[in-house]
Amino acid sequence: MRPVLLRLAFAVALPAVLVAVWWVASAGSTNVYWPPLRTIFGAFPDVWTGERLREDVLPSVLRLTAGYTVAAVAGVALGTVIGSHRRVRAVCEPVLEFLRAVPPPVLVPVIMLFAGIGDTMKIVVIASGCVWPILLNTVEGVRAVDPVLAETARSYGIRGAARLRDVVLRSASPQIFAGLRQALSIGIILMVISEMFAASNGLGFTIVQFQRGFAIPDMWTGILLLGLLGFLLSVLFRLVERRVLGWYHGLREAGRRSP
Amino acid sequence: MLDVHGLRKVYEGSGRRTEAVRDLTFTVEAGELVCLVGPSGCGKTTLLKCVGGLLSPTSGEVRLAGRRVDGPPPGTAFVFQEYGRSLFPWMRVGQNVELPLKQKKLSRERRRALVADALESVGLADAAGAYPWQLSGGMQQRVAIARALAYEPEVLLMDEPFAAVDAQTRADLEDLVRRLWRERGITILFVTHDIDEAVYLGERVIVLSASPTVVREQLKVDLPDGRDQVHTRVSPRFAELRTRVYEQIQAAKRGR
Repeated sequence: MRPVLLRLAFAVALPAVLVAVWWVASAGSTNVYWPPLRTIFGAFPDVWTGERLREDVLPSVLRLTAGYTVAAVAGVALGTVIGSHRRVRAVCEPVLEFLRAVPPPVLVPVIMLFAGIGDTMKIVVIASGCVWPILLNTVEGVRAVDPVLAETARSYGIRGAARLRDVVLRSASPQIFAGLRQALSIGIILMVISEMFAASNGLGFTIVQFQRGFAIPDMWTGILLLGLLGFLLSVLFRLVERRVLGWYHGLREAGRRSP
Repeated sequence: MLDVHGLRKVYEGSGRRTEAVRDLTFTVEAGELVCLVGPSGCGKTTLLKCVGGLLSPTSGEVRLAGRRVDGPPPGTAFVFQEYGRSLFPWMRVGQNVELPLKQKKLSRERRRALVADALESVGLADAAGAYPWQLSGGMQQRVAIARALAYEPEVLLMDEPFAAVDAQTRADLEDLVRRLWRERGITILFVTHDIDEAVYLGERVIVLSASPTVVREQLKVDLPDGRDQVHTRVSPRFAELRTRVYEQIQAAKRGR
């Protein structure tokens, strides 16, 4: 019981200090753009009502989920193909490096041209930004399958779908997850950015609306909510990762104990 | 059972041409336990991978039960030296042993029975639920052996399987291989660089030359079937055979 409490205390300590510093520093503020934290907290329940959560936050989260899922499926599938074939890799690598270097927000106006201004556009923007870290990490992970493991699979006639599912993807999974983690933070950024262009709902849209209407404390509540959402998603991600990569953490732990 | 005829393997890469194996011809009868021993770097692993269909020879051929080997044949199982890298770390011990069986389209009950039986006979009946990396090196190699057994191979190929475990574990594993061979009548081709191990385990020892490799000598090991670490290793006949192999290896190293 003790260690759990202690760990919780460690986790909570710094955020508590930061909030306290913000609270005290902004307490007497008369600056319109920098309202006291007390005012922001006061505005929070009035702004983020059940209706607004349903009308603005839920669509944002759904679009993020859709774009992220498309990116994950496409990234892992393409990455596996590219990582498994040397020729394909040689052909694709320069193009991949170029595409990866293009900042995804730049693509928003371009994507609007062919995908319109609806949900499709936003999902495409999120997916097109998230796909690169997943794709490139999958390529590396698939390439790095241990040669002894690969030979073991071959000598026991493990081929085709079974080889892909039980050997290649499992072996690449630590790197795939590293890519998925990077993609998650990119996805949240793109979710907000895509809603700042031609949107009628969503978290990003609402925050921009508040800012334009000089509802500065309300704008700040939106930023806090975004932070909380990001935190929640990363906790969720970590839970999934712990489950899927339990073997990997155990293996590394075992390697550290007896090098 | 196993016919290796005129086997030659040349590696080519980055302007260098390495003739690992020059001309190897030998046979292994069904149910025989043959040890291949040679100086280090003599292409033993290359040879075994050619036999197991993991490498294709430059010329010559390998025949298993009359059929030419041109890929991993279904009747052979491989045990690698690097046990830590040959078991799938994301699968529990039982799943590791079961995975190859799924390719054989066996029923679930049959698979379960084979897995349980194989783990039982290597003394790891309790470890099915553990991950390989939770076990000691010797136990991991037992799992690899169990996986090979459950596969029900006609020929078991072992590539210096005990080179990376400590001496006591090694003695136990040697006895395990002898016991399994006698109980199950599998044909075993065992590669080692350890002369004592070759003589202790084998019914026949094939001594290889230094690279480029040819067969230097074949030696029948006429020790009794029931061998044990204490008595066999001090018997005069063991010493004679060991000396004979040792001289051959030394001569091979000097290139005569």
